[in-house]
Amino acid sequence: MNKTSIIGVFDEENALMAAVDQVKKEGIEINEIYTPYPMHEVLEAMGKKTRFTFAAFLYGFAGASGVLAFLYYTSVIDWPINYGGKPTNAFPSFIVVTIVLTILTVTLASLFTFSARAAIYPGKSFILPDKRSTDDKFVIVFDKSLLKGGAEKLNALLLEKGAVEVYEKELHPQN
Amino acid sequence: MYKTDVRGPLILGDKNYRQISDDVIAPINQPIPGWWKVAFFIALLMAIFGVLALYQTVAVGLGTWGVNNSVGWGWEIINFVWWIGIGHAGTAFSIFLLILRQKWRTSINRAAEAMTVVAVMCAAIFPAIHMGRVWLAFFIFPYPNTRGSLWVNFNSPLFWDFIAISAYLLISASFWYFGMVPDFATIRDKATSKIKKAVYGFFAFGWTGSSREWLRYEALSYVLGGIAAVLVVSVHSIVSTDFAVSVIPGWHTTVFPPYFVVGAIFSGFAMVMTLMIIIRKMYKFQEYVTDSHLNAIAKILVFVSLIMGTAYATEVFIGWYSGSEYEMFTFFKNRVTGDYAFQFWAMVICNAFIPQLFWFKKVRQNLTIAFIISIFINIGMWYERFNILITSLSKDYLPSSWTTYSPTWVEIGIYIGTLGLFTMGVLLFFKYIPMIAISEVKSVLKVTSVNTNDQKHMSHE
Repeated sequence: MNKTSIIGVFDEENALMAAVDQVKKEGIEINEIYTPYPMHEVLEAMGKKTRFTFAAFLYGFAGASGVLAFLYYTSVIDWPINYGGKPTNAFPSFIVVTIVLTILTVTLASLFTFSARAAIYPGKSFILPDKRSTDDKFVIVFDKSLLKGGAEKLNALLLEKGAVEVYEKELHPQN
Repeated sequence: MYKTDVRGPLILGDKNYRQISDDVIAPINQPIPGWWKVAFFIALLMAIFGVLALYQTVAVGLGTWGVNNSVGWGWEIINFVWWIGIGHAGTAFSIFLLILRQKWRTSINRAAEAMTVVAVMCAAIFPAIHMGRVWLAFFIFPYPNTRGSLWVNFNSPLFWDFIAISAYLLISASFWYFGMVPDFATIRDKATSKIKKAVYGFFAFGWTGSSREWLRYEALSYVLGGIAAVLVVSVHSIVSTDFAVSVIPGWHTTVFPPYFVVGAIFSGFAMVMTLMIIIRKMYKFQEYVTDSHLNAIAKILVFVSLIMGTAYATEVFIGWYSGSEYEMFTFFKNRVTGDYAFQFWAMVICNAFIPQLFWFKKVRQNLTIAFIISIFINIGMWYERFNILITSLSKDYLPSSWTTYSPTWVEIGIYIGTLGLFTMGVLLFFKYIPMIAISEVKSVLKVTSVNTNDQKHMSHE
């Protein structure tokens, strides 16, 4: 767990991206990048994809069919009530409840998925290499043990691309 | 790449990222200002009065209200619809502007969503107490029960309403909260006091801003944005079916769902304007909530005001065109003229005429006038609901059941209580939560600000 990491700190997103491109060209593996706001260039560079939207679609599908099935069961099978001779399976008026509860299902299930997949939950112990990265710095982290060419070359590269600081640190989870 | 040349810079002053964090967090770290304490104290007194009125309602019963057999829905439903309408803007604002990629939303969406959550909480009080025996309110949940299992009536708009409001409250609150998680992490990492670090650290849920987190965060916000857009339209449509599905003259009309949704967005945006002018003035956020932001809200208001005017005219026209003598009576003898003409014309003047002043650039730029107009709109929207409810109920088909209605102190007290609750909620938001979405504003800084020390512009959407 407590492996030494090399941490590069940048002031500007352009400098960070230049460094990321160069590092990738040299075949050095990036452990993680921390930014104060979402940057699509970083997400692309890290080669990360998410199947979140597909999961949301599945939740919606499950929610819609579940709610319709529930309405059908309660109104037609379990306790059919005669409202002035209208059909017990009042499909058009079931749609309203179905839409709203489907949206609710998708929202809640997506939130739990987010919480699980991004590992964001109350009381989590987290690793934050440089706490300025939630403020104004762009931080790139490398695993020192995975470096083949030695740390000096990487340090030089990061500084050349405009890193304001490069340092080594053992990362510990904090609360 | 998209650049907002038309709208001008979104953030004034040559800000850098750290200044944005510091500026937005400043009210949290500074001591509580005097005006805040005074306002909170007054709001607390109002809320206490509201609790007294609620106590009276529960202890004695609905007989303490002015409602009667003919006018079965009084101030409670007026205020319920009014608050829900105000509660529409936050989600409408964030979500429609998110989907339309309007970057100017970033300085305002946090406050708009906060307002939504508090307003919907205020709204939810009314239907609950209107059930009469509020301690049995859980009967409305469709759960397997010992009454046979006798299920609720899934075809009833009142049940739809319950589902819609609970879902809306849950969804808007979670959308708001997850938007704040990265900002709580910023406060946690900049905090100097241990307590602040622990408290905001807890609410930050271990956020670090890694690419793994941002990836899912972005995906989540688009999924929620996409589906909640449907919700924004559906909630107030469902509220309108409470009226439109009945056969009361003046209610039984197909124009109601869009008319209600537009009205809700109208009053909500007016409240956003009221709130943003206060925030900007009291916390000196002029560089984030710029004149062009308020100008944009004013333009939306003038547009929506035209739709409102059209809706009012349509209702009156259809009242005549339907050929129904009851509709004719309701609109021409009981709204345009008659006992409730004042409320009708107050509605028309406040909502359809006064906002037309926003056509003039001078009015849009004069924030005192803009503030007054935004208040007028909310008064007008209150009269709109009064007009719909009371005029139709007080004089329906049978002259023998015609009656008048006036609220008792209990009903007025509950309304004052919700106004106090709303003010308290908003004040607590001012003090303890970053009023502007820090990470979102940072993401639009380079694209649209006057900050020019960057050669290459990047877009983040």
